[in-house]
Amino acid sequence: MPRTTTLETPGCPPLRAITLDVLGLAKVVESRDVQNGGAAKMVERWGEPDSSKCVVAASILDRESDPLLSIARKCGSIEVVSAINGDLRVHIPSPCEAAASPEDEAIIGMHLFKRHQSESSSRSCKLLTCTTKGHASIGSLEFTETPEEFIRDPLLTEWKVCGSGNILCSKVDENENFALYGGKGVEVNIWDLNNCAKIWTAKSPPKNSLGIFTPTWFTSATFLSKDDHRKFVAGTNSHQVRLYDISAQRRPVMSIDFRETPIKAVAEDLDGHTIYIGNGSGDLASIDMRTGKLLGCFIGKCSGSIRSIARHPNFPVVASCGLDSYLRIWDIQSRQLLSAVFLKQPLTNVVFDSHFRTEEIAVSAPEQQMVDIAEQEAIPAKRKKVSKEHSRSKKVKSKRSRKKFRRRRRLNNFDYLPKQTILHNVSQKNIEGYLLPTQEFGNFFNGFLPKQEERRLALKYRFEKENSRKSELFSALCLYGRLCIMDIILQLY
Amino acid sequence: MTKAKEALLPSTIKNKEKRSAVHAKLKHQKKIEKKKKANAREAAEKRALELGEEPAPKNIPRTIENTREFDETICRPDDDELFAGNDADEFSSILKQEHIPKVLITTSRFNSTRGPAFISDLQSVIPNAHYYKRGTYDLKKIVEYAKKKDFTSVIVVHTNRREPDALLIIALPDGPTAHFKLSKLVLRKDLKNHGNPTSHQPELVLTNFTTRLGHRIGRLMQSLFPQDPNFRGRRVVTFHNQRDFIFFRHHRYIFETKESKQADSKGKVSEKKAQEKVIVRLQECGPRFTLKLTSLQNGTFDTRGGEYEWVHKPEMDTSRRRFFL
Repeated sequence: MPRTTTLETPGCPPLRAITLDVLGLAKVVESRDVQNGGAAKMVERWGEPDSSKCVVAASILDRESDPLLSIARKCGSIEVVSAINGDLRVHIPSPCEAAASPEDEAIIGMHLFKRHQSESSSRSCKLLTCTTKGHASIGSLEFTETPEEFIRDPLLTEWKVCGSGNILCSKVDENENFALYGGKGVEVNIWDLNNCAKIWTAKSPPKNSLGIFTPTWFTSATFLSKDDHRKFVAGTNSHQVRLYDISAQRRPVMSIDFRETPIKAVAEDLDGHTIYIGNGSGDLASIDMRTGKLLGCFIGKCSGSIRSIARHPNFPVVASCGLDSYLRIWDIQSRQLLSAVFLKQPLTNVVFDSHFRTEEIAVSAPEQQMVDIAEQEAIPAKRKKVSKEHSRSKKVKSKRSRKKFRRRRRLNNFDYLPKQTILHNVSQKNIEGYLLPTQEFGNFFNGFLPKQEERRLALKYRFEKENSRKSELFSALCLYGRLCIMDIILQLY
Repeated sequence: MTKAKEALLPSTIKNKEKRSAVHAKLKHQKKIEKKKKANAREAAEKRALELGEEPAPKNIPRTIENTREFDETICRPDDDELFAGNDADEFSSILKQEHIPKVLITTSRFNSTRGPAFISDLQSVIPNAHYYKRGTYDLKKIVEYAKKKDFTSVIVVHTNRREPDALLIIALPDGPTAHFKLSKLVLRKDLKNHGNPTSHQPELVLTNFTTRLGHRIGRLMQSLFPQDPNFRGRRVVTFHNQRDFIFFRHHRYIFETKESKQADSKGKVSEKKAQEKVIVRLQECGPRFTLKLTSLQNGTFDTRGGEYEWVHKPEMDTSRRRFFL
């Protein structure tokens, strides 16, 4: 037989992603069958192909019950649909049908607020939109029975972000107090959403050594970490990634060149220092923003410009999509392609629905919830709570079959640890984040993690193996030379 | 003893003279065996025909094309999204004959020897093509100008060392831009027994553009030509894709009736059956060249700020049986 190479895709953890494309279709991609490789597949398609319905912006309200997805279309209309079955909840027709050119008023950024839980949150939502010309508005909508009728909050706040230029990127920080705007001819600026006031504007970097000034053209931006709105990263058309710090200076703190085509998408990691960037020729890479070093590129035959990157909130997985009409799912640590799904149309946006669970892991769902509660308690506390938490999760584990437990024990000896512990060890030289895999994840990867990878992990956690007792681990870490534990963040699935 | 010798690989023999002798012997044997097999097959077929049986099906040789790697992006006729996407793309207004294609041909900054000759050939192939001197203009400026003058495409012939080596096709007003490597260029005057094309609008043959990317490239090529060919002109332009190389040919054809005399085996008894048989004759008009896609960029020409729909990367070459068009 002729020799053909098969694309090695180890499959991805059980997840659910929704992609939106230029024909206005929403496609749901799920990976379910984890045992048999877990290849992601398209399971549903919402909407009919229509080029005037091209999706320009999307935002997901990712929650356990009734997740919502808001979609802004090229024709100017906004739709809010249920992220579970695609039912239309609200349809806002184009506000500027009378206007001469709807393209000027194309929506570029949108955000569905998570914190809007005041009154009857299941029947209403709060939406921030921004158009290319810089008209931003926040308004809350109340659903009624039919999608055409909805009650718009009379307290619609509107403001103008920029006088000239085109807005190309907008982003709202995790606590939803601040919004970030930037674009062609618009320096990045930060707005306080509570009182709609501009609090900070960047200053363009000085001319270079040849006296050449690169015009401002931001194409993508994101906040660097969850709980800090002061640091953010912006990608420019002149293939630069810039780190800004509001508290430090108005010019970029750091600026990194990446290849030769414009940066088209930037996404942040949960750990608060890694970012993922995608550019116009389909290169996806991760950068550590503390040092500005390129951690590595994601290589997987990606040939078209990357339009959107999404980081899964629970699994160490990122998804990217773009003009080559593939949705690609990557592993963060090994930067390996886990799955690629051909979706027929150039894609514009991808979002994750993190509360998707399949039947297989439904068993562990109650445990997860339980641990969730524990997590909430454990966040502000330090060591004591951690150990407490251990015992709790251990109890649950003992319920499981003995044999399975022993097998897992042999495969990864660190299962006595909390599900995911990120230890920020700050040394003078460098900061290292240790990420311990979870049980599920450990289990999940046992099947098809390459031998080398397993060994690498084993080496990484060698010292934890040596200290078999959990209470000793942290003291051991403290004693481990120059490391000092700054904070321990427990993140549990 | 002899068997052991035969089993011995010639490459393990150190003496060159012996090695080549053994090798020649092995090769000869192989050839004989092959011939025997072919003879046997032929005989079997003949016998089957005589007995009135169905002859064994002919073996299909394995080629690189028919053992191509599975590609999920290959267009299927039952795909409604494909047709919806076609209706929405940049070429649909030309292909639906709402606009008449008008092509601007220009060159790179320096252009000599075969470049101008190639351009004059191209002008005779593509109807409604206008050559503009490049001068010192930016390509972006030229694109702007062409948009204003209602051109539907721009072709840039890139010349290196007095030899055309790249072709840039820009669809207007909003892209895409395809960048091709051009090779094996034979001009009309260098073709033996070449014909001279008439000014009729040519027919277009696009073969093997199967994947989504190929489909798009095919439509880009199609949008260069008017969609209402004059069949009277009997002029045909071919874009043939094979293993990602696009072969360009330009022919004239003619249908001729030929009286073929069939002498029956019974000889004189049967009358001479004068059968009228239609044959087609081809005459190549040139030019003749080969294109290979290097990148397809979304939007009009913009190398610094452009977004690529497809760009070739070395990591994609994992197999010689993997094709993109």
